[in-house]
Amino acid sequence: MRRAIPAILLTAAGFAFVWQYEPTTSAQAALPPADTVPSLPAPSGGTTAPRTVDGSAERNKHGVVQVQVVFTGDRITDVRFLQLPSSGPSRMAGPRLVQETLSAQSTAIDTVSGATMTSQSYIASLQAAIDAKGA
Amino acid sequence: MTFTAVRQLMGLPVSLDLRDGTEDDAERVFAWLHEVDLRFSPFRMDSEVTRYDEGRIGADGISDDLRHVLALCQAYEDQSGGAFKAKLPGRGLDPNAVVKGWAVQRAAEMLRAAGVTRFCINAGGDVVTAGEPADGEPWRVGIRHPDDSHEVCAVVAVRDGAMATSAAYERGNHIIDGRTGMPAFGLLSMTVFAFDLATADATATAAFAMGVDGVEWAVEQPGCLVHAVDSNYRVFRSPQLPVLT
Repeated sequence: MRRAIPAILLTAAGFAFVWQYEPTTSAQAALPPADTVPSLPAPSGGTTAPRTVDGSAERNKHGVVQVQVVFTGDRITDVRFLQLPSSGPSRMAGPRLVQETLSAQSTAIDTVSGATMTSQSYIASLQAAIDAKGA
Repeated sequence: MTFTAVRQLMGLPVSLDLRDGTEDDAERVFAWLHEVDLRFSPFRMDSEVTRYDEGRIGADGISDDLRHVLALCQAYEDQSGGAFKAKLPGRGLDPNAVVKGWAVQRAAEMLRAAGVTRFCINAGGDVVTAGEPADGEPWRVGIRHPDDSHEVCAVVAVRDGAMATSAAYERGNHIIDGRTGMPAFGLLSMTVFAFDLATADATATAAFAMGVDGVEWAVEQPGCLVHAVDSNYRVFRSPQLPVLT
């Protein structure tokens, strides 16, 4: 068990790199759920009271990451982040996408960008109305 | 002097709004786009694209323009991980998605070279602008609402920039994801704002083919700002996109 603790902390530190990877479909950097942390096979032994071990503070290019690991007996039962950079990797230069709800705008326009129109659909389109009005 | 005109070319309604141009300037644009249609349409038996696709002319016999277009197609196929393909299995070569943006951008450069500084070209929903329509005023480019051809869902202030939209609401689900061979899904519309229309058009087409993955992909393309509507009617846009409210 003594030798297992450094190994577990290294695993947790390594997990910080997984945290740095941001899924492309997510607009928000979500912290991974604790149950995704791999736990080591439990050696034989009875259960004891939960015990908390702090990992060392690791600096990467985004800032400082420090984890805290909670053991119950020989098993990891929780991992908490004691320190995280204030923002995820893709937000270092500001958000790349903002999410909004779809609405209709009534601002005056000069032209319309839309999917390629056929001549038939053009006749009934907003662009045709703009063209007919002239500049 | 202002001159406006609409002409049906390349199967598209092409609208010109020249704030300091003449009818002669407009006619040169229309003549160029007509020439492009004759040379690059995959639907014409005698176009250069068809002759090349059928092997009637070899790779060393094609024009520099077609060579350029094919190189652009290949670049977007590579960058999109194969989602965009000008040559789908079992189909003829169709570089239209790249040809249109490239040709209309060339038309804009012809106008600039002729001394026209304030204009807007809209080729079937793909827009390229120059200067300002009036002093201190941007071109106000609406993005069509995916559900209603008479509404816009955003208005973007554009000066010397281009906007292209790819969507399935006009011609049905005709954009194929080259990775699967199936119609693209996940997005209702994908609009890309870039400095030039060749970039905006090809990026919008490739991103739409990628589906929801295309939103983040398009944002990462150099010089591109994005406005996308997904199939849950959520809008994702670049915060830098100059929208008017």
